Amino acid sequence: MSEIKALEHATLKVPYEMLNKRFRSAQKIIDREVDQVTNVSRQVEKALDAEEAPILAEVTKLVDNVAQKLQVLKRKAEESINDELSVTQICKRKLEHLKGITPPNSVTGDLWQGSVDQWKRIRLDRLVIEHLLRMGYYETAEELAAKSDVRHLTNLDIFQTSREVEDDLASHSTTKCVLWCIDNKSKLRKINSTIEFSLRVQEFIELVRQNQRFEAVKHSRRYFPAYEKTQLNEICHVMALLAYPSDAQADHYRKYMDPQRWQKLVLDFRHENYRLFQLSSTSVFSAAVQAGLSALKTPHCYAQTCRNLNCPVCQEDLNRIALKLPYSHCVQSRLICRVTGLPLNEHNQPMMLPNGQIFGQMALQDITKEDGTVTCPVTNTKFSNPKVEKVFVM
Amino acid sequence: MDNESWACSSVEKDLTRVVTKLEQLHENAAADIGDIATQMSELVEVLSRAEQLVTTLNSSTQVSQDDPMGDGVSMQVETEPTAPQRLTERQMESIRKAIGRCNELVQKLSTEHRDLHGSISKIGKAIDRNFSADFTSTMRVDVLQDEENLMLLNKAIAKHYCRQGMENVARSLIHECKMPAEHAQDVFESEREFADIYGMWVKIQKRDLTDALKWAKTYSQQLSDRHSLIEFRLHRMRFMQLVSYGLESQREAICYARLNFKKFAVRYEHEIANLMASFIYLPSGLENSPYKHFLGQEMWTELSFIFLKDACQLLGISKNSALSVVVNAGCTALPALLNIKQVMQSRQVLGMWNGCDELPIEIDLQPEFRFHSIFACPILRQQTSEDNPPKKLTCGHVISNDALHKLSNGHILKCPYCPVEQNAEEAVRIYF
Repeated sequence: MSEIKALEHATLKVPYEMLNKRFRSAQKIIDREVDQVTNVSRQVEKALDAEEAPILAEVTKLVDNVAQKLQVLKRKAEESINDELSVTQICKRKLEHLKGITPPNSVTGDLWQGSVDQWKRIRLDRLVIEHLLRMGYYETAEELAAKSDVRHLTNLDIFQTSREVEDDLASHSTTKCVLWCIDNKSKLRKINSTIEFSLRVQEFIELVRQNQRFEAVKHSRRYFPAYEKTQLNEICHVMALLAYPSDAQADHYRKYMDPQRWQKLVLDFRHENYRLFQLSSTSVFSAAVQAGLSALKTPHCYAQTCRNLNCPVCQEDLNRIALKLPYSHCVQSRLICRVTGLPLNEHNQPMMLPNGQIFGQMALQDITKEDGTVTCPVTNTKFSNPKVEKVFVM
Repeated sequence: MDNESWACSSVEKDLTRVVTKLEQLHENAAADIGDIATQMSELVEVLSRAEQLVTTLNSSTQVSQDDPMGDGVSMQVETEPTAPQRLTERQMESIRKAIGRCNELVQKLSTEHRDLHGSISKIGKAIDRNFSADFTSTMRVDVLQDEENLMLLNKAIAKHYCRQGMENVARSLIHECKMPAEHAQDVFESEREFADIYGMWVKIQKRDLTDALKWAKTYSQQLSDRHSLIEFRLHRMRFMQLVSYGLESQREAICYARLNFKKFAVRYEHEIANLMASFIYLPSGLENSPYKHFLGQEMWTELSFIFLKDACQLLGISKNSALSVVVNAGCTALPALLNIKQVMQSRQVLGMWNGCDELPIEIDLQPEFRFHSIFACPILRQQTSEDNPPKKLTCGHVISNDALHKLSNGHILKCPYCPVEQNAEEAVRIYF
């Protein structure tokens, strides 16, 4: 499996879901306008079918109506189809970018390396942006997208909507989230989402908090019956709040009145939004970071004397993150000289100092003084004219 | 065609189909609906004119006029001054016809648009078929759910962008994730050195060589000691840039060549001669000469890449930030892990996936991503560790301690790779 096949599903799936949504709303708009046209045209037909020949002035007016509705239909149809086309452009641009991972065959060498490097740089920016958005660091994500000019390759737009909803929820208001639920009603039903119910419960709780119990009852009558089948248990628990005085200390009461519930709603919403666009709950970025740390992690990274400053896992911060991750797996020895950083092989034979430390043949020149003393760079032991033995590694 | 572009192009094919259909529909909506709308308006005009004519003339019994619809239906209006105007059969006929056509066309638009649904969902299916949605299953533990680890990751991100010269991005992140001050401090202190190099790298891509040339001059000796081509490459590019400005900068280009190519004369004699010949083509423009490849962006991308590589090597700093090494290694590892996971699933040995402190397979990383020696015992095929260290036999071959015990018969050990028989006790512990 190749990298883009394994990692870029969401890159394409999100604009596809957007296209699908635009298509459905375009169909709705067109159908509505078509209905309008057929309605008025039916009136004309009715007038024509009357027993007595219809009055000229009246028919003129009706036909004029048809003409106007047709104009509206034309305008709206064009607009909505243009909307759909603009989303297909987003898909197209992303596809173009993905194809860039394999530069044309004609380029080779450094140029090829250069363009792959460039592509990976952009990918990193994309992945980081997605991670930032998921963490809710919207400003940083925006800034990075603008700075590195990758906005067209990210899903910033859908997160923009979710940001508004989240801000609204964070300031203890359900308005925008309810609108979002209505906007995505059919899709949410398809994925069995209970987010709207949670919102309605929260609204109920707020009414109880303000001691508007009568309003709360009205609210519950209006919204809860729709969830009777699936959420009856929860509904009963919530309704029980009506029975408690507003300063009650009962656990049950406190659980629902906790303002932290809003925070939870924000997270729930975020999660539902991912499901809506078929985004997985963790970002590619975090999966890649963890897999990468594992792939690079060796026991050496945790031994004080063996650290290599260029190794990411040896760096303090990443070292702590990688602590619980599995080590890399290795069935074939790969040896690197700790002095020169060059691989040990037939061109750079591994050599053993008397203390058992292995270095490359090329490094021996560096650590041997003119008088023949060799200083082991790891243990700092000095040997005068030591016996350096060749080592064979299969 | 390879795997990746195949996956992309199969999605692209479905996408293109939808785009064509949408464009067609757009055109039809404009043309058909537009047509029928104008037809209707014309009809209205005719009708109202007929009405007016009758009311103004009032006296004549019969009025006929040209039909602007051009379909040969002429409107005949019978006047009855006292009663309101009524439609004639022929008028009714043409209205019926127009309305019928109108209904037909709007329904057609709606149906045709609805028919797109199939093609659109084909795109979704192509994406699902060609791309894997499930990369999360490769993780056994999610260490990034831990607040503290997430903050450390934020720090790594901030460092990375600091390195790329995007300090503002790093600052916003520090602000937004409320990073503790001591972490933030650390972010800005590291990576200074690289940021300068990176700045030059960006400038080269924007075709500005000033800083890079200055840098190369300072390090000229070290660069030539390392057989680096970069200084000459930079000069060559600058020279060609001057040449490409045309005849007016010809003088400057010659002066530049005299001043800077001297020290490369021995090593690059042929190349320099080649470069100087470009003056021949100046009057007709470089675009039409054998030198035209110097004008393309690819040359600049390549140059910037070599610059970054050589400069980092010289300064002994890593070309890639820790974050980018990790993420790129991860992107290499994920597909392999996903593959093995699928295999394990189909063989029903998924239990092996969990509870093991090593990845199930070896990830084939580029050599530049290898930072530590790893010795895998050639007999037992596993990595050595503190409990099972590598040992060198007297003949020089290296095997693991466990393998040594398994192979030895009492004190006597025959090397598995050569005919030497030896005392197992004489093997020595070695360190890579």
